[in-house]
Amino acid sequence: MKSYILKRMLSMIPVLLIVSVIVFMIIHLIPGDPASVMLGEEATPQEVQELRDELGLNLPIYEQFIQWFSGIFQGDFGNSIYMNMPVLEAFLGHIGPTLSLALLAQSISIAIAIPIGVIAAKRRGTYVDQLFMTIAMLGLSLPSFLMALLLMLLFGVNLNWLPVAGYAPISNGLWNHLQYMILPAISLGAIQAAVISRMSRSSMIDILSMNYIKTAKAKGVKDRVVIYKHALRNAFIPILTILGETFGSLITGAVVTETVFNLPGIGQLVINAIVRRDYAVIQGTILIIALAYLLLNLLIDLLYGLVDPRVRFNRK
Amino acid sequence: MNLNRKSYFFIMILLLISIFFMGCSSENTASDKEAKEGTDAVKATGGTIKVAYPTQPQTLDPHATTADATRDAAKLIYEALVTLDSNYEVIPQLADSYEVSEDRKTITFKLREGVKFHNGNDMTAEDIVASMEKWGKDSAELGEHQWTVEDERTVTLTLTEPSSLIMYFLADQGKIAAIMPKDIAESAETTGAAEYIGTGPFKFIEWKQDEVIKFEKFDDYVPDTDETDGLGGKKEALVDAIDWQFVPDSSTRVNGLISGQYHFAHMLAYDSIPQVENSPGSVVDIWPYGIEGLVFNKKQGVFSDVKMRQAVNAALDMEVIMSSAFTDKEFYQLENSLFLPSQKAWYSDAGKENYNQKDMEKAKALLKEAGYKGEEVVILTSRDYEHHYNAAVATQQQLEELGITTKLDVYDWPTLLERRDDPEAYDMFFTGFSTTSTPNQYAFLDSQTAWPGWTENSEIDRLLGEIKVEEDLEKALALTAEVQTIMWEDLPIINTGHNSRVSGYSEKLQGYNQMLGPNFWNVGLNE
Repeated sequence: MKSYILKRMLSMIPVLLIVSVIVFMIIHLIPGDPASVMLGEEATPQEVQELRDELGLNLPIYEQFIQWFSGIFQGDFGNSIYMNMPVLEAFLGHIGPTLSLALLAQSISIAIAIPIGVIAAKRRGTYVDQLFMTIAMLGLSLPSFLMALLLMLLFGVNLNWLPVAGYAPISNGLWNHLQYMILPAISLGAIQAAVISRMSRSSMIDILSMNYIKTAKAKGVKDRVVIYKHALRNAFIPILTILGETFGSLITGAVVTETVFNLPGIGQLVINAIVRRDYAVIQGTILIIALAYLLLNLLIDLLYGLVDPRVRFNRK
Repeated sequence: MNLNRKSYFFIMILLLISIFFMGCSSENTASDKEAKEGTDAVKATGGTIKVAYPTQPQTLDPHATTADATRDAAKLIYEALVTLDSNYEVIPQLADSYEVSEDRKTITFKLREGVKFHNGNDMTAEDIVASMEKWGKDSAELGEHQWTVEDERTVTLTLTEPSSLIMYFLADQGKIAAIMPKDIAESAETTGAAEYIGTGPFKFIEWKQDEVIKFEKFDDYVPDTDETDGLGGKKEALVDAIDWQFVPDSSTRVNGLISGQYHFAHMLAYDSIPQVENSPGSVVDIWPYGIEGLVFNKKQGVFSDVKMRQAVNAALDMEVIMSSAFTDKEFYQLENSLFLPSQKAWYSDAGKENYNQKDMEKAKALLKEAGYKGEEVVILTSRDYEHHYNAAVATQQQLEELGITTKLDVYDWPTLLERRDDPEAYDMFFTGFSTTSTPNQYAFLDSQTAWPGWTENSEIDRLLGEIKVEEDLEKALALTAEVQTIMWEDLPIINTGHNSRVSGYSEKLQGYNQMLGPNFWNVGLNE
């Protein structure tokens, strides 16, 4: 087990190296630079040049890369030139809303999706199944910004039950925090639920047609026990994979939801950094996200062992 | 189990139906529980004004940038020696009075007494000199100059060349000549001061990146005793605090305003305005911005030939361009002047005969004269600003009609900013020019600025030089009119018309006013 984890950790190094080179190249090859964004539209070319010099943007690109890359090994991801703070600090300042959103959205999606998937599989072919899958299909095809705007109009503008947008950290009180998180979490979770429920359904259908389930039923085991104890647990491996993937995309891909609901999370941080050409922030954040993705995958692989004894990493 | 399933159904279907219904009929069902307050409500109120602003500035130090995002927020905390009244004329602010010497090379400022910085210290002549040296370090407008402390309450500015525009530069809002404590000014980097301490009615409290900047009322603020006028005169903080929130999404700003979460939403999309107008308790504020300009690349390519530029100008139907960009007549005016009609010192309609000609025959003749052979014209544009993009598309159609081959190069805004510096990359682009305090501050007129498009007109340069030293304002206006006439013949840019920007605010804001962006002093909150 330990050697497995160690091996997996080592294999991350080349991946991260490639990610950092590609991100650095892409962001530096696209035109536009932070100096002109910072100085405003009416700045003269001379002023822009002077600021470029001062920020080190006129150095050869390989020198800039070496500077940045050698810093990473000392835990220094560089400084945000726009926000005037270390990238790591900017990242940590934005991770709260994103993590909270991801956890809430994931909980909502699991709470909706797995029962729907199980029921649809159990009632396969009936109108219940068809209705659930139609709704899931709708959820899949509904763009997330539309869902977000509709929820905002209904609960924020028309009913005035919840704030339209913004963020309050948990330190301001749980209810205060949740008020701001409910709508974004639902709009994101509902769409994730569509993916997970389809996966749960098909996985459950596979399992339910297996002989041991038939045997269990023939032995007179209660329906509920068959479904939740024997079938669901075995159907869970593919579901777990999907959960891992969706959680990863929740952390990295909630850009639209964060923008519409104005949550100062990682998605907004990256988008703003791109608009401002804040190179260090883009590079650092994407590298950290890549690392998080790799670790998350490792975690999911280790969780398989908990669910399914056959894939446990036994000591030999 | 059965019951659960049924209720699942029910809730899901109900939710879906209600979401779609509400989504479709948002306009007329908006809650009207916020009854309209009388307009004569009491002013001093307390409370926190919640502002939704589209972009986060890089710094609040207005010396470091010309960005509107910095200016709008920085106005709350900083003041300058002089500022602009409602006619865009210079009036004292931190100066009690000022005197220009006869040779116009020395300006003596008497400072107002009792003015305090937000850190509790008194403002002194030394702070003024340090701040102004930081502000004017590389200023082309000031040229060689020297700031001197005469005594505790007096500073002088000495110029090597006389200038009649100097007071306008000092009062300019593009890069506010903000006064800050000496130590902060001296230790500041090019990218901005490390601390935001000014003398204004509000003080800076906290900045949560990409979220909010918090300002609080400055209790020791000493207002000017003159009557409020434009950006100057008596200013007071009537509320306890201002939360300056960053809300990049336009529809979120609109929804937040309508729902009452924000008291003010800056820069609304033109097509969202009916939604705000139909919402009880919300007011639409249309404010004059400046000109929408079509900038030619005069360094190389087909438009280095003035005849080609004239051909385009002869053909264009400005009504079509402006209505495509700004949707409704409420938001644009077919004006050929460089200045707003309210800028009495500079406004002139000289060159009017060459504006909005819509004369295809003339255009075709000019095109022939220029010897145009079907070269492809690259129009640089960006969808980050929908109005510039729409203006570019409308222009493209008209140029195609004229027989010019065109190509639209669409980029994000930072890319456009870089590409417009490269004479190889384009032939024309649209951008907005916020109105300035003097003709000399339009970078596209002056050949020395080497601003994108690269204007090289010795006549304009000469006239700008004359305007700079002209003592008599009437004569300066006549010279400006001359610049404008030449501009409409030589066409460094085509001013397609004046336009306004739109903000929205809650009726709960009492006494809201704007000039060169929103102002929140003398504004109360009637919750």
